[in-house]
Amino acid sequence: MKSIKTLLVAVVALLSFTACDAKIKNAKTETVKIFGNCEMCKKTIEKAGNLKNIAEVDWSENTKMATLTYDAVKTNKEEILKRIALAGYDSNEFLAPNDAYAKLPECCQYERNNKKTAMVPAEKMNHEMHSNHNMTSSDVDLKENALNPVFEVYFGIKDALVKTDGATASAKAKTLVTAINGVKMESLPTDVHMVWMKVLKSLKDDAEHIAGSKDATHQRDYFGTLSKNVYALLKVSKEETPTYYQFCPMANNGKGANWLSKESAIKNPYYGSKMLSCGSTVETIK
Amino acid sequence: MKIYPILILLLFAISTTAQKIVRYDLYVKDTLVNFTGKPKRAIAVNGQIPMPTLTFTEGDIAEIHVHNQLKEGTSLHWHGIFLPNQEDGVPFLTQMPIKPGETHVYKFPVIQNGTHWYHSHSGMQEQIGMYGSLIMKKKTDDPEFRKGIDDLPTIPVMLSEWTDYNPDNVHRMLHNASDWFAIKKGTTQSYTEAIKAGHFKTKVNNEWKRMMAMDVSDVYYDAFLINGKKENEFSQLFKAGDKVRLRISNGGASSYFWLTYAGGKITVVANDGNDVVPVEVDRLIIGVSETYDVVVTIPADDTAFEFLATPEDRTKSTSIYLGKGIKQLTSPLPKLDYFEGMKMMNGMMNMDGTMNEMGMGMSLQKMDMNAVMYPEITGSGSKEMKHTPEEPMKMVDGEKMDHSNHKTEASSTDIVTLNYSMLKSPTVTTLPKDAPVRELRFELTGNMNRYLWSMDNKVLSESDKILIKKGETLRIVLYNNSMMRHPMHLHGHDFRVLNGQGEYSPLKNVLDIMPMETDTIEFSANADGDWFFHCHILYHMMAGMNRVFSYENSAPNPLLPDKEWAYRQLQKESNMSHVMAENDFATNGNDGRAMVQNARWSFGTEWRLGYNNMHGYETETHIGRYIGKNQWFMPFIGFDWRYRKFGHDEVEKNVFGQKNTKDNRSVLSIGADYTLPWLVIAQAEVFTDGKFRMQLSREDIPISPRIRMAFMVNTDKEYMGGLKYILTKNSGISTHYDSDMGWGFGLTLNY
Repeated sequence: MKSIKTLLVAVVALLSFTACDAKIKNAKTETVKIFGNCEMCKKTIEKAGNLKNIAEVDWSENTKMATLTYDAVKTNKEEILKRIALAGYDSNEFLAPNDAYAKLPECCQYERNNKKTAMVPAEKMNHEMHSNHNMTSSDVDLKENALNPVFEVYFGIKDALVKTDGATASAKAKTLVTAINGVKMESLPTDVHMVWMKVLKSLKDDAEHIAGSKDATHQRDYFGTLSKNVYALLKVSKEETPTYYQFCPMANNGKGANWLSKESAIKNPYYGSKMLSCGSTVETIK
Repeated sequence: MKIYPILILLLFAISTTAQKIVRYDLYVKDTLVNFTGKPKRAIAVNGQIPMPTLTFTEGDIAEIHVHNQLKEGTSLHWHGIFLPNQEDGVPFLTQMPIKPGETHVYKFPVIQNGTHWYHSHSGMQEQIGMYGSLIMKKKTDDPEFRKGIDDLPTIPVMLSEWTDYNPDNVHRMLHNASDWFAIKKGTTQSYTEAIKAGHFKTKVNNEWKRMMAMDVSDVYYDAFLINGKKENEFSQLFKAGDKVRLRISNGGASSYFWLTYAGGKITVVANDGNDVVPVEVDRLIIGVSETYDVVVTIPADDTAFEFLATPEDRTKSTSIYLGKGIKQLTSPLPKLDYFEGMKMMNGMMNMDGTMNEMGMGMSLQKMDMNAVMYPEITGSGSKEMKHTPEEPMKMVDGEKMDHSNHKTEASSTDIVTLNYSMLKSPTVTTLPKDAPVRELRFELTGNMNRYLWSMDNKVLSESDKILIKKGETLRIVLYNNSMMRHPMHLHGHDFRVLNGQGEYSPLKNVLDIMPMETDTIEFSANADGDWFFHCHILYHMMAGMNRVFSYENSAPNPLLPDKEWAYRQLQKESNMSHVMAENDFATNGNDGRAMVQNARWSFGTEWRLGYNNMHGYETETHIGRYIGKNQWFMPFIGFDWRYRKFGHDEVEKNVFGQKNTKDNRSVLSIGADYTLPWLVIAQAEVFTDGKFRMQLSREDIPISPRIRMAFMVNTDKEYMGGLKYILTKNSGISTHYDSDMGWGFGLTLNY
């Protein structure tokens, strides 16, 4: 009995000893500058830098200086500062990735004094941007056709669904209902008029359903027939810019579904980013 | 006397027109490396890993002296190079292995340019250091010399990976379906993890379809390397606006790498040593053994921009910093969402183990099904994003700023990823029109459970050389019906990838083909001899995913006097037997098994040895052959021996009413194993004494990352249930209840 007691005591003693010992071994301390603003920054910086029993960071909001205490056998200053940079905070060794910095809350977005301005040839970027604009925005070349407002909003809904943005899709669909009501039938050429009469009811129906929900999954159920009807309309009304009729065989529970796009590249509105490039162009309408 | 200057002039003229011989001496030697704190064996050439960068100019004659100072044979293969067959460096196909102590000379004219690489084609030597860059420069007067690209400063970038395990052991573990690598990577995808992620149904469905946990790569690596180091700096004095060309080769044995750059876009200018029309992307994936030449810009002064290579499984990464000064990092790629991938796989997998591509006509890497697992694409897991959805991002970097103004969200849908359809040759690449065209189809096949990789469900040791005729055009249609991607490499030829670019289809020598994709390549049969066509994932190649194209009426190869014998050696090498054994040292007895298997055959024995006569002793030995593509069916013949003494001669009855004392029995049997849905193995067996037994069992049900459950029940009214906690690669602690032996608790050792 006694021996058990001694053993227990010994074990407890040993445990408490190791518990004490769980501090950082081979400790080395350094003070370094880390950019940041506020109390929130302090939390993020320290959390990113700390590593149990290996590294500890204490950052001061006032001086913007951090005290690094670390096990010099297991790690080094660079490793700690790299982790902190990846969390969004610059130091004199590392600059945070741009997206990591951008993700910081606004109050934490400190002045990036260490970052040198990039010398990117400006004309090139602008050029690219413009070509992008031409692709997506629809205020070009579409003035004469009475159905243009309808097509325009359709592409808006499509873009919203590509981003799985139910709220925008819903808002756009509301505009679509207005646009449909605003179409002056008498101004349509006969062949277009015929198709318009045929699809009008279903077109409105789908638009209202999409407007009535903010759930993209639900909206996509109606987007299929909506696309088919808009396709029929686009096909009869002569457009100057090409439109791409695209198809994803997986959508609609494997039955497949179509959509229209102004770009030939596939951006699937039925799955959004999950299956962004699923599908192919089945027809180019000119 | 007058003739003298003329003579000198003549000599001068000759020396300028004669081809320059460029000689390298390579000393191949064992070495020790230390990437993890433990010294491990590796192979260094001229004392370095990777092997030295060899540089030639088109028109040179390459002469490479290989001095083998190892205790084993070696070889060097010149990847992507057009050369005489006997210089190709495949042991037992184009030459004999270079014996220890021997020197072998490779000599060939350099008739092409571009970024290539070289590596050992012997065993697993490529995994432990034998890879290096092979740069063939364009002549400056080449009509295809591209100003602004071919005159840029270049940096050779050799990607590779390191494992502390002996690669032969890695290969053995893969064949034995060891999930130790998954445990190390944290990708067990067990039931508890599935439940936590809200994917219990996905997991059940996945196992119901007889799939084991899926991953994008098979091996756990301790380190990933660029030019032999985890981190590199190129601090030449780059100024803002400077451009640099990286000549990147993927010398990894089994890792694909994502390439991203902190300084903006990446311009791809060449692929597999062939120029392509420059194309700007945000990122690209480089398949095992592919090469890409990319141009990047150093956007600012006093800053070192990170060029990051992340293996496809995203466990770690390796980087180089371009420029001098403060290091501008790029964000690491977020961890993969495995259960989303599993769900996608479930949808694509038929019950019979074939893949269903749902009529999507997948090809050319255009649709990466793995994208469902990429949080940076799907937007899942990026909760921080939602803080400022409406605010335009404040960035100093001019380029990024434009984008953020353009679209306020961090537009994940805007990441431009390179795929093969974007590659376009700057020159017409059409093949001779009058040549006869022969079409060959290959289905890439395999099963993960037994790590069997094959083409048309045949490994190399089950297939003859494919005869081709000089002068014909070979059109090869590849369909990947397996669950992994495969970088298929053809020796000695470039092929056109029919990618929709028509006459300007790009030339390649490695084609990465993703699951369910169909791709078509074509090439002119314009050489002589035997050429390897294989998956360049080292462990897939060693499992037999190879073929040989052999030109009819080839000239004899002086380095290989007996070609038939040599081919049999080659076949043997890629279908080696592998051993596994385990034993549970439990309080109620010893439970264990040992197996020797190759692609088709299995020789296995199981034992249950009690500590006394009452518990008894029992062994079952089965010799079986796996049938079919999925290898779910294995008929076998067997031998059972059992001895037990209860003391009161109890007679047991099985469910069929057959009696048995179980006391002393030694019988032969025939039977079969069949893998049922949910990976349950059903076994039916008839013994020479007329007894019949049916059994259901499953081992390794992943309960948690390290806990495995097992059960067995049979018609002899025997049953067993157990749990095991995996401690290390070779050990675990276990508890089980056995109807014969009762409760036990023990230590399991496995090899």
